[in-house]
Amino acid sequence: MAARGFLNLAQATEAALIIAAQARDQAAFGELVKRRQGWARALLRRMCSSHAEADDLAQDAFIKAWERLTDLETPAAFPGWFRRIAVTTFLMAKRKQKAIFEEIDDASPIAAEGSTPEAAAGAKIDLEKALAMLSDAERLCVTLNHGEGLSHSEIVEITGLPLGTVKSHVLRGTEKLKRLLEPAT
Amino acid sequence: MNDFDALLKRSFAEAPEPADDGFSVQISRAVAHREKTAKVRNAAYTVGMAAAAAAVCYGAYGLMGLYGQEVLATAGLEVARVHGALSGAPSVGGAAQGMLQSFGAGLTQMLLVFGALAGGAVAYRAAQD
Repeated sequence: MAARGFLNLAQATEAALIIAAQARDQAAFGELVKRRQGWARALLRRMCSSHAEADDLAQDAFIKAWERLTDLETPAAFPGWFRRIAVTTFLMAKRKQKAIFEEIDDASPIAAEGSTPEAAAGAKIDLEKALAMLSDAERLCVTLNHGEGLSHSEIVEITGLPLGTVKSHVLRGTEKLKRLLEPAT
Repeated sequence: MNDFDALLKRSFAEAPEPADDGFSVQISRAVAHREKTAKVRNAAYTVGMAAAAAAVCYGAYGLMGLYGQEVLATAGLEVARVHGALSGAPSVGGAAQGMLQSFGAGLTQMLLVFGALAGGAVAYRAAQD
């Protein structure tokens, strides 16, 4: 349905869609999902190692957003509010899989580092592949820091991890990415 | 910001997922299903509450039919008994008033006895002298 009452969904602003969705307009929410799905799926694909899992989590996050949309105070806060839901959904799924985010394993190597043909050849590996070689915690913190532009304290607030742990995951993850992404010299 | 940070930022910015209509449709279906389920649940809850209220009313009505007359009669009797007990209770004011009246009435006799004794005593003293 392209138009609904006075609201033409295709031309409506995101704020108008959010307000309509808060009034339980499913078509407006559908349009909002259409517009935001690329960003949401990309965010979760960077945090997860599998595309299928990321899409499942993105779907869960959108459904949770629909259920809690009345809690959103202003439409302008939607991206940050949704990002928090997505991260919480990711963390809950990972904790169900017994993933531990608080622990910093100094000896953790880059997954399969040096064993892949690309790494062995010193070839440039794309970001997604490079992220897949980090641990779950490093991937989460690096994505939020470099991808979403969040500060360490904002990551602490959104994930509930200790500040030192977040700093360490960002640093170690960035170093690993540097080794994987920079052309071999 | 060094070269690597810039590269990283660019790499993150370069990779938005292409829109997938199937994904949006799946979410719209899931949302519609949830809304439908919620409506059914609300309707079931309302019907359940109405049925429970009707059952309570029906039960109360049945009990009143069986025992109502007896209960009302017993209650009336109890009220009457309480009223009687309250109205027949001795009044402190009345008791005090009665005591003062008795005391007032007896005072005359007491004064007469006292006067007679005093007179007797005076007469005896005079006889001794």
